Amino acid sequence: MTPNPTAVGNPFAGAKNQQERRERITRWLLRLVTFFIVAVTLGILALIAIKGSPVVFRSQWPFVNTKFLTELPSTLHVIEDVKGNKQEVEVGHADEVKAGLGDNFHSETTISYSGGGILGPIVGTALLVLVSISVALFLGVSCAIYLSEYAKHGKFLELVRLAILNLAGVPSVVFGLFGLGAFVLTAPVFTHMPMDRSILIIPLGFTTLSFEGWDTCVLSGGFTLAFVILPVIITASEQCLQAVPQGFRETSMALGATRWQTIRYSVLPFAMPGILTSSILGIARAAGETAPIMFTAALAFKDKLPWQKALPPLPADASIFAHWEQSVSRLLGVFTESVQALPYHIYTIAAKIPQNEYSERAQYGSVFVFLVLVATLAATSIWLRRRLRAKYRW
Amino acid sequence: MPALQSPPPPPVVQVREMDFCYGSSIALEGINLAVERYRITALIGASGCGKSTLLRCINRMNDRVPGARVTKGEILVKGKNIHDDDVDLTQLRKQVGMVFQKSSPFPKTIYENVAYGQRTHGVKSKDILDDAVERALRHAALWEELKDRLDQNALGLSGGQQQRLCIARAIATRPDVLLMDEPCSALDPIATLKIEELMHQLAREFTVIIVTHNMQQAVRVSDYTAFLHLGKLVEFAETDALFSNPRQKLTESYLRGTFS
Repeated sequence: MTPNPTAVGNPFAGAKNQQERRERITRWLLRLVTFFIVAVTLGILALIAIKGSPVVFRSQWPFVNTKFLTELPSTLHVIEDVKGNKQEVEVGHADEVKAGLGDNFHSETTISYSGGGILGPIVGTALLVLVSISVALFLGVSCAIYLSEYAKHGKFLELVRLAILNLAGVPSVVFGLFGLGAFVLTAPVFTHMPMDRSILIIPLGFTTLSFEGWDTCVLSGGFTLAFVILPVIITASEQCLQAVPQGFRETSMALGATRWQTIRYSVLPFAMPGILTSSILGIARAAGETAPIMFTAALAFKDKLPWQKALPPLPADASIFAHWEQSVSRLLGVFTESVQALPYHIYTIAAKIPQNEYSERAQYGSVFVFLVLVATLAATSIWLRRRLRAKYRW
Repeated sequence: MPALQSPPPPPVVQVREMDFCYGSSIALEGINLAVERYRITALIGASGCGKSTLLRCINRMNDRVPGARVTKGEILVKGKNIHDDDVDLTQLRKQVGMVFQKSSPFPKTIYENVAYGQRTHGVKSKDILDDAVERALRHAALWEELKDRLDQNALGLSGGQQQRLCIARAIATRPDVLLMDEPCSALDPIATLKIEELMHQLAREFTVIIVTHNMQQAVRVSDYTAFLHLGKLVEFAETDALFSNPRQKLTESYLRGTFS
């Protein structure tokens, strides 16, 4: 650059104005982009809150729409009289209302899934998340411990890491099909009467092990979702394990602890807060996925909660034990039932064309509840992590 | 000296003609060392001379390093070759304790830190644990300071206390040999002094091998000194003799600080 002739006596003179302008423009561009992203995020949240909260909250006691939160979805009937007054009624009462109107009856519209509440989907999503996060944490943490503490560095380890990274990139609908093939149709079950579709039957004497699948149920869906979130959990857990100071391991081994004792008492407890944090991401993802559960666990509509399965009635003189046994089987049976799930429910309502004010209401209400649930889960994990942090800080 | 003296006790640690490699590079070559029981032996030398590596050979801590291995010779502890197949590493490390350069108490209570070794060896009885913790803390001159706050987090202690806690933790399993890898290098002079006093106490019941880069410290605490240079043991003698009258040129120039 040619020296500025006017700047005699100032050896550091430069083309200051131009540089400053460029600097300012760059800074403002970057700032605007950032603000834009924040604005979009807030916009989405605001839209959901504005449209969804009137569905969930009420201005009078008990301030929440208990019906929306405690009933199962049903078909909404909207009956209009000749004066144009509209009346929303449930399936069972439609005829009654119509008869009451008599000649004043004008028209009736039915909107599927938009009546009642969303208890079914809430329960279903909760169960799916519970199963998937348990399975994923167990598998993921075990895998991370192996990779971080036992495996020798080398080609094989690189290959494993590559495989895990790739797993994270698999489209979720592929996981859905995998779950359908692996868990719904071929996973092993103990049964006395194997089904025809069973691929392999291994007699065990007292019973048989039949590879006939678990059917569409919470278990199948939960396992499928577990594989969706595994990469996140493994990668994050491994990082958390690596973040525990090497000194802890050395000291522990030098005191004569075995490798497993070292991991159990001097590594894992200190990595746990981080692992739990990473599971927040996993929970949110598992709760939000639709494709993996479409074929494995979720139904568009179900008129029973998972524990309301019809069991053969007990004889009147049944013992306490029989009652107790039935309660237990009812409780465990929750996992072998198909369920409704929030994301799939939202999809079902939203995919119905044409949309109207009633379906929109059900839709935003569900989305709002969904968002609040995920946020609550995340908050719980953060709280848990802070408590553990306080206990195990180094 | 009386004519009828009992034969000298056998060395508790004996290194014979040992070569040690990290992968393909030789870290130690032809090491011979005999450590006498209830004495303090100091390993001195410039950074990278292999003194820490030698120390870590004695409780096989180098096993953790990929590619590290003894290629020749042997190490005997209490007369047993520690690389024999029937040597249980956890037992070896229980009897050859180690204190590291950077004091690293676990972020657990003081009690749990000291009891760690005993617990990993399956001791469950509260009485035995209490007893071991108290004895170890007394040995490390910490009992009076800490007896009322055993249930507090060890990370709340000062640097010097932390290091003495690590010593207490290492001796809680009643080892024969205590290895110390530059135990004072991160401490201030007063804390260092305390540790050095402690070491004289410890030498009554344990055999101490200490790596130090502080020559004054070697003079102050040790009975024997080994000088290592570039992976070789140059000179090994009683500390007074080595410092006042080194036999090797290399030792002399190192002690005088005129290393080329």
